[in-house]
Amino acid sequence: MAATPWEGDLARELKERFGDQIGETSTYLGQNFIVANPEAVVPILEYLKLEADFDYLVDITAVDWLKRPERFDLVYIVYSFHRNERVRVKTHISDGYKPETAVGVHLTANWLEREVFDMFGIEFAGHPDMRRILMPEEWQGHPLRKDYSIIQQDQCWVQENLGIESGQ
Amino acid sequence: MKAASDANMPDATFLDSTELVLNMGPQHPSTHGVLRVILKLDGEKILGTDCVIGYLHRGVEKIAENRTWAQFNPYVDRMDYVASVSNGLGYCLAVEKLLNVEAPPRAQVVRVILTELNRIASHLVWLGTHALDIGAITPVFYCFREREEALNIFEKYCGARLTTHAFRIGGLQYETYDTFEQDVKAFCDMFPPKVDEYEELLTGNRIWKGRLTNVGVLTADECKEYGVTGPLLRAAGVKWDLRKAQPYSGYEKYDFEIPIRQNGDTFDRYIVRMQEMRQAVRIIRQAVESIPEGPIMAKVPKVIKPPVGEAYVSIEAPKGELGYYVVSDGGVQPYRVRVRPPSFVNLQALDRMVRGGLVADIVAVIGTLDIVLGEVDR
Amino acid sequence: MSAAKLLRKIFLVDLFQGLAVTFGYQKPKYIVTEQYPAERPKVAERYRGAPRLNNNPENGETLCIACNLCALACPENLIVVGAERNEQTRRKELTTFTYDLSRCMFCGLCEDACPVDALELTQDFELASYSRPGMIWDRQMLEEGPRPKPYKC
Repeated sequence: MAATPWEGDLARELKERFGDQIGETSTYLGQNFIVANPEAVVPILEYLKLEADFDYLVDITAVDWLKRPERFDLVYIVYSFHRNERVRVKTHISDGYKPETAVGVHLTANWLEREVFDMFGIEFAGHPDMRRILMPEEWQGHPLRKDYSIIQQDQCWVQENLGIESGQ
Repeated sequence: MKAASDANMPDATFLDSTELVLNMGPQHPSTHGVLRVILKLDGEKILGTDCVIGYLHRGVEKIAENRTWAQFNPYVDRMDYVASVSNGLGYCLAVEKLLNVEAPPRAQVVRVILTELNRIASHLVWLGTHALDIGAITPVFYCFREREEALNIFEKYCGARLTTHAFRIGGLQYETYDTFEQDVKAFCDMFPPKVDEYEELLTGNRIWKGRLTNVGVLTADECKEYGVTGPLLRAAGVKWDLRKAQPYSGYEKYDFEIPIRQNGDTFDRYIVRMQEMRQAVRIIRQAVESIPEGPIMAKVPKVIKPPVGEAYVSIEAPKGELGYYVVSDGGVQPYRVRVRPPSFVNLQALDRMVRGGLVADIVAVIGTLDIVLGEVDR
Repeated sequence: MSAAKLLRKIFLVDLFQGLAVTFGYQKPKYIVTEQYPAERPKVAERYRGAPRLNNNPENGETLCIACNLCALACPENLIVVGAERNEQTRRKELTTFTYDLSRCMFCGLCEDACPVDALELTQDFELASYSRPGMIWDRQMLEEGPRPKPYKC
C-alpha cells in the first residue's frame, strides 16, 4: 500500500505515550491509521477516548490474510465528534490469539466483537457474552475465513435441523 | 385425592416465581422483519431482553469476495431494501475513493436528488409501519400513496422501483429522462401539504402523545456509548449529520437545517424524522434548479482494479451512519468489503431503551429504531 | 327519555348519519384500482423485465455477434453463449444462447454490456412458469418473449 507517514499532533502524542508498541502511523488517501501491538490496543482506545476525545467507536472488523503468519488484521475505527476526525487502529494477530475485549471502553463493542468471533473465530478474552450472533449457535466453522469456500456449509447442522440432504 | 389428570401437571412450586420468559418470535407483525426478541417479564414490566438475529443472513460480505467490483453493485441494494439507493451511493463512493476519482458535477447533483427522494421514501415506510404498530391504521395508506410517486420516478429513471441499482462506479449509467425535472418538481410541490396532513393526524393526538412520550429514552451520552447514529442521536440533542460534518457528493452546496430535539424519547424521534422529510424536499428543490450540463461518468477503466490499499467511507443513510470499509489487493475482485450497518448498531441499544417499560413499549421502540433486518443481518 | 331521543335510538338515526359521511366520501372517479387481467399496468420505458434477443428488422437475422460480454458481466454467471466460427465470412456466429431466468436478479448489467443492443430487458413482467427447468430460456424463447395466455373472464 502506498501509505505516507502521518505527521499530525495526534500521531506524535500517541508515539510519545506508547513508544514502541506502535508499529507505524501512516495515512493513505487522507485517512489516518496506526498499527499497534495486540496488547496495546485496548489501552490505546482508552487513551483516545479519555484524553483525545474519540468517544465514538464506529466499527470493529477483521481481514484475513491467509498467506501471512500473523493471519488476521483486526481493525478498530474510532471517531471524535469534537475534532470531526476518524482514526483507524489496526493490529496483526495470529490464529488462536485471544485479544482483550473493548467492551470496558466502548459499549458498542459488544455485538461488533460477537460478529467478528462468529465470522472469523477470533475470541475476545473477557467478553460478557461470547457466542455467535448471525450464524446458528451450533454451527461449526467460521464463514468469512479465506479457507472456508463460498459453497461450503456445515452439513451436519443442515441435515439435522433442516431435514434435507444438502443446502445446495 | 389426586385425579388421574393431575399426574401430568407440573409441580405447583414453579408458579411461585414471578418472572416469565416470553418469546417475541421471528414471525411477528411488529418486528419489521425476522427479528426474535426474548423478553424476561415480571407481569407486564420488562426486566430484560435478548435479541436473536441472523434469520436473514445471506453472506453478502462473502459474496463480495467472489465477484468483481462492478458486479457486486447490485448485491448492495438488497441489504437495506427499503432505501436501496443510499446503499449504492455508499459503495460507489467507497470504490471511487480507492480509485481516487470523483464523479462529474452533473452526476453528483442527480445522485443527491435520488438519494434525498430515497430518504423521503424510507421515512414514509417508517411512518406508516410505526403508526400501524401503535394502532393508527390510516397513516400507512397515505404514506404508501406518496411513496408510489417517488417510486415512479425511480422506475422511470433506472427501471426498477425497489432494488434500483441506480449508480455505477464513477458516476451514472443512465442520462436523466425527458420529464425528470418536471416530475421531481411536481413531487416537491405535492409533498409538503401531505406532511402537514400526517402531522395533523398524529402530532396533536392525545393517544399518540401518550404512547410515545417518555418511552424508550436514550440520552446523548448513552447514544455515544452505544454508537447510535442517525435520527436517534439527533433526537437526543447532538447536532451531528454526516452531510454537514463530512460532506460527500456535493452536499456542501445546499442549504438545509439539521433538526434536533432534546429529550431523546420516541416522540422526539418522530418529530425529527418529520422535519427531515421537509428538509429533504428543500434539498431536492435546490438541487433540481441547478443541474449542470456535462458528462455523467468519470474516466474509469473498463476493468476496475484499484491499487493495493483500503478505505473507509461513510454516508448519512436514512437510518444512521452507513459505512463501507473496502480492502483491495490489486485484483479485479475485492479482498474484503465490510459494511457497517446502522440498524445493527442501533439495535444493540434496544435493551437499554426498554428496561423498566411495558410490553407495549417494545413495539413502539422497535418501530422508532427504524431497523431493516436485511441490513442488520446482511 | 324524550320521545325524539327514543325514536332516534330505535330507528338508528346516528348510525345512518355516520354512514352518510362515509358513503359521501366515495367518489367513483377516484377509484384507483386497476382491473388487472383486463387492463395491464403501464410500466416505464426503461423497466428491467424479461430479456429479449433482438433481430435485425430488415433481414430477420440476429443482431448478436457472440462476443460473450454479457456472460462475463453477469454477477450470477447465468448466460451461456454458444458460437461457431463461420469459415466463409471469418466471423463468429451465434448458435445457442441460454439464459437462466430463475437466478436472474434483473440488475441490467448484461444489457449495459452488450455493444450492439442485441440483448435488451423489456417491459414484460409476467414471467411465471410451472416448472424450474421451464425458467431456463433458450434462444427461441428469448427472441419471441414470454406469451402469457390472455385471461378471458
